[in-house]
Amino acid sequence: MSQDTHHFLVEIGTEELPPTSLKALSKAFTDGIKKGLAQRKLQFSRCDAFATPRRLAVQIAGLDAYTPTESLKVWGPPAKVAFDKDGQPGKAAIAFAKKNGISVEQLNTANDGKQDKLLHERSTGGEASRELLGDIVRTSLAELPIKKRMRWGSKRDEFVRPVHWLVMLLDDQIIDEQVFGIKAGNLSRGHRFHSNQNITIPNAQSYAELLQSEGHVMVSREAREAAIKEQVTQAAEKLGGQAVIDQSLLEEVTALVEWPVALAGKFDEDFLSVPTEALISSMKEHQKYFHVVDSDGKLLPCFITVSNIISKDPQQVIEGNERVIRPRLADAAFFFKTDKSTSLEARREKLKTVVFQAKLGSVFDKTERIKLLAGGIASKLNTDVSSVERAAMLCKSDLVSAMVNEFSDMQGIAGFHYALNDGETEAVALAIKEQYLPKFSGDQLPSSDSGAIIALADRLDTITGIFGIGQKPTGSKDPFGLRRASLGALRILVEKQYDLDLRELIELAASTYKDLPKADSVCDDVLSYMLDRFKAWYEEENIAAEIFQAVNAKQLSCPLDINQRVHAVQAFSQLPEAQALAAANKRVSNILAKQESKPGFDVNEKLLTEPQEQALSQQLQQFTAKVGPLMAQREYTQALCQLADLRETIDNFFDKVMVMAEDPALRNNRLALLNQLRALFLEVADISCLAVKA
Amino acid sequence: MPPTGTFKAISVKNLGDKPQSRYNLCPDLWYNPLIFSNLIMSIDTVANPDASTFQGLILALQQYWADQGCVILQPLDMEVGAGTFHPATFLRAIGPETWNSAYVQSCRRPTDGRYGENPNRLQHYYQFQVVLKPSPDNIQELYLGSLKHLGIDTEVHDIRFVEDNWESPTLGAWGLGWEVWLNGMEVTQFTYFQQIGGIECYPVTGEITYGLERIAMYLQNKNSIYDLVWTIDPQGKPVTYGDVFHQNEVEMSDYNFNHANIDFLFSTFDTCESEANKLIEAGLPLPAYEMVMKASHAFNLLDARQAISVTERQRFILRVRTLSRKVAQSYFDARLRLGFPLAPAALREEVITKAKALEEKS
Repeated sequence: MSQDTHHFLVEIGTEELPPTSLKALSKAFTDGIKKGLAQRKLQFSRCDAFATPRRLAVQIAGLDAYTPTESLKVWGPPAKVAFDKDGQPGKAAIAFAKKNGISVEQLNTANDGKQDKLLHERSTGGEASRELLGDIVRTSLAELPIKKRMRWGSKRDEFVRPVHWLVMLLDDQIIDEQVFGIKAGNLSRGHRFHSNQNITIPNAQSYAELLQSEGHVMVSREAREAAIKEQVTQAAEKLGGQAVIDQSLLEEVTALVEWPVALAGKFDEDFLSVPTEALISSMKEHQKYFHVVDSDGKLLPCFITVSNIISKDPQQVIEGNERVIRPRLADAAFFFKTDKSTSLEARREKLKTVVFQAKLGSVFDKTERIKLLAGGIASKLNTDVSSVERAAMLCKSDLVSAMVNEFSDMQGIAGFHYALNDGETEAVALAIKEQYLPKFSGDQLPSSDSGAIIALADRLDTITGIFGIGQKPTGSKDPFGLRRASLGALRILVEKQYDLDLRELIELAASTYKDLPKADSVCDDVLSYMLDRFKAWYEEENIAAEIFQAVNAKQLSCPLDINQRVHAVQAFSQLPEAQALAAANKRVSNILAKQESKPGFDVNEKLLTEPQEQALSQQLQQFTAKVGPLMAQREYTQALCQLADLRETIDNFFDKVMVMAEDPALRNNRLALLNQLRALFLEVADISCLAVKA
Repeated sequence: MPPTGTFKAISVKNLGDKPQSRYNLCPDLWYNPLIFSNLIMSIDTVANPDASTFQGLILALQQYWADQGCVILQPLDMEVGAGTFHPATFLRAIGPETWNSAYVQSCRRPTDGRYGENPNRLQHYYQFQVVLKPSPDNIQELYLGSLKHLGIDTEVHDIRFVEDNWESPTLGAWGLGWEVWLNGMEVTQFTYFQQIGGIECYPVTGEITYGLERIAMYLQNKNSIYDLVWTIDPQGKPVTYGDVFHQNEVEMSDYNFNHANIDFLFSTFDTCESEANKLIEAGLPLPAYEMVMKASHAFNLLDARQAISVTERQRFILRVRTLSRKVAQSYFDARLRLGFPLAPAALREEVITKAKALEEKS
C-alpha cells in the first residue's frame, strides 16, 4: 500500500456571511476538519484556513492517503469448549465465527499463554482518505457554532447563509461528495463585481494564488486584515494624521470585503463641536469607518472607509460615503443642541416612566437609592458628600435624552457634557461619565472618587435588588450582568484602596429598598456571591485557589483587607518554610479539632517540662509581640515572613514533645500552647489550607 | 405615417423582429401622432428607464420586476408601517404556494414625523417591495440586475451585502439577511423569511425592500427629500417631492403628536382586537387581518402620542402578536381547505400530508 500524501482543498461558497462571526466560523470549520482527521488517525503536515464574506475554505498539505493499518486479535472461547472430542465445531465455535463474519472453516486456534483458544486476527484501517473526507467535512459543517441557522428556497438544509458551490479536491481530482445537495466540483467563483464567473481550480495547492490572480479575491483572512491595516495607516498619513484602528472594527471590516481598497473622505469641520464620542460612534458603529486623529489625539474631520472594489471612479464612492455620514453627524449635532435646552435635573422627571425592573420600580427610584447609598459611602470615606449626592440624582438623566436614544454607547458621556452645560461642577460631571467604568474585564477604573462611588453604589444597588427579588444568576444565565458588576465593584474597592466593609455596604443598599421579598437572606447571599468573584480574579492572576481559601476561611468582608492578605499568603507560600509550616498548622488544627472540650489559651510556664516546649512558648511570646504591630498596620507579608522563622522551633517541638501526655495537666498545657500557635498564624490566614493533600 | 427612421431605431431595440404585426392589431396608432409619441416614450422606458425622477424610478422598478414574472400589485389601501404588512407579503409567505409579486407601498411611521423640517425623515414614505417564493437561487443577481437597470454601474459603486437580521415582534416573524449598502448608504433590506405569524416558512420567501426616497436622493444627487424631482410638468418645470408631500408632513406630524384622539385610539384598538377574534372564529382570515392592521396603526399613533408607558407597551405588542399568530394559522387553514391551488404538486402533497397527520394527532 503506498504511503504517499495528498493536498486536500474544500471550499464552501455562500451568500454573504455575518461579518462579526466570520473569524469564529472559519476557526470552527478548520478545527472540525482537524478533529475529524485526528479521529481517523489521518496525519498531515500543514493546515491553512481561508475565509471571505462569500466562502469558507480549508487547505491541507501532506495528508495521509490511507488511515494506518493495525492488526487486531479477537480471542474467542477455549478450544476445548468450542470443539468436541472429534474436533467438530460446537455451538460456541459457530457463534464466534458468525460474530466475526467468517466461516467455521476459517477458525484458528492459538495459545494465549494459558490455554488454547479460538483466535480471529484481522486488520483495521487502510481506508482511503478520499472516502472519508466527505463525512469529515459534513460533520464539521453540522457542528459549526451558528447562532441562527436559516433555510432558503424549498430546501430543508440549514446553514448560516444559502450555499451555492462546493469545491473538494484531492490534488487534482474532484472528490465525489455532496454537501447540502450540491455536488463537489473544481469550480470556485471570483469577486462579485471584478470577476463574476467560475474559476477552475486545477489542483488543491493552487487555490489561494489563483483566486488572487484570476478571481480578484484575497482568500486569506489574515492577509486581508494586514493589507487593510496597512492601507488605512497609509491613508491616514496622507491626511496628515493617524488612524485609530480598533481590532474588533478591523476584523469586522476584513469580513466585509474580498478585495479591500481604503478610501479617505471628509466631513464638515463644524461638526467637531459635537462631543467626539458621538462622532466616532456615528462613523464606527453605523458606517464601519476608521477615524483619524492628529498628533495630540484630537479628532480630524475625516474618515477612512474600506470598499470592496477597485472603482472605475473612486471619487464617486468617496462622495457617496460623505453623503451618508453627513446626515448622521447632523443628527448627532441636532440631538446635542436640542438636548442641551433641557437640564439633567428637569429631564430626571422622565425617568419615573422608565422601568428599571418590574418589581424594583423606575429608574428614578434607582437614582434615589443610589443617592442614599453613595452619600453613605462618601461619608465613610470622608469625601465630598454633596457632590456625590448631586451626581447620584442626575446620573441616569441622559438615558432619556435624544442623543442616548440614538447612540446608546453615549450613555454617561452625553450626561457629562450636559452636566457641564448645566453648570454642574467638574466632580459631578465626571461622576456621571465614569459611573459605567469598568465596562469590561481589564477596563480602566473611574479616575475620580465621585465617579468610583457612584459606580460602586449603582452596582451594589442592582446586585442587592435583583438578589432581593430572588433572581440571582444561575448557571450561564446572568441577564443583569451581576457577575461583571460584582467584579467591577470588587476592583473599585481594592484598586481604589477603599477600606470599606462590604457587608455594611450591602446592608445599606438593602435598607434603601422598601420591601424586598428576600430581605432576610439577601445580605449573606450577596456578600458570599460577590466575594466568590475573587476566585475568578485570582485565577487570572495565577494565584492558587488554596491561597484565597486560606484567607476566606477567616470570613472577612473587607475586600481591600482580603486582597492584602491574599497577596501576603501568596508571598509566604513561595518561602522554603511554607510547606512545613502549612503541614504543622494542619497537624495542630487536626489535634485541636479532635479534643472533646475546646482547649484554652492559658499556658502555665511551670508545667512546661521539655526544653522544646519551653522554647516554643518563649518564641510564641516574642513573636506575638513582634507581629502585633505589623498586624495593626496590615503588614501581613512581613508578619508571615517573621512567623516563618518559627519553623525550626515547631519542628523540634513535634519531634521531641508528646502532646497527648497521660498527665491531663501536662496535656492541657501543651494543647493551650498549640492553640496559641494556631491563633498566631490565624491572625493572617488559615495557613493549614496550603498543606499539600496526602 | 411617422418617419420610418425613428421607428426602426426603436423597433430594433425593443420589439424584436416583428414590430409590424403587433401594431397592425391596433391600426389607430399609426394615424394619431400624439398617441404614437407617447408610445415611443413608454417603449423607450422599458429598455432605457429614466430613473432621474421619483416616479421614473418607480416605473423602472415595476417594469424590471414585471419582466421577471412578478404579479405587479398596487399599494394596499390601508395604513401600514411597512410593505411587509401588505397581505401580499405577510399572508402569502405562509404555506407552500408559489408567489412572486412586486408593489409600491406607502408606509406610515407616526413617531418619525419631523414637521417637514428634517431633510431625511418622514412619517409617510414609500417602499418598493418584492417577494419571491420560493426564494430563487439567483435572487441576489436578480436584485443587482435591478440596480443596473436603474443605471447604477456596479463597476463604479461599492455595493455590499451587510448582515442585518429582521425580527418583528408584532408579526411574530423573523428572518435573516442583509441591508444592502451603496457606497455606504443603506438602500435596501434583503430578508429570507424563516417564520411568519409563528408559522415556519416553507418554502422560504425572499423579500427585497427598496427605500425609494433614499435611492432617489442618491440618483438625483439631492440632500433633502423635499428637493427630489417627482416629475417634469408639461411646461418642463420640475414638480418636487416637497410640492407633493410637504404640507402632508407638517399637518400629519402635528396630528400624530398632538391631535390624535387618545380615547378614540384606545377604543379602536380594543374594538379591532375583539372583531379580529370574532372574524377568526368565523373562518375569515382576510378581514380579520385588516382588523390587525388597524389595531397596529392605532398602537403606533398611541406610541407617537406617548400615551403608552414602557411596561404597557410590551403588553400591547404582545396583544398584536397574539392576533397575528391566530390570523396566520387561520389563513393557512383556509388555503389548506382550498388545497393550496398555487403550490407545485410535490410541495402541496408534502404540506397537506403533514397538516393532516398533525390534525389526526390532535
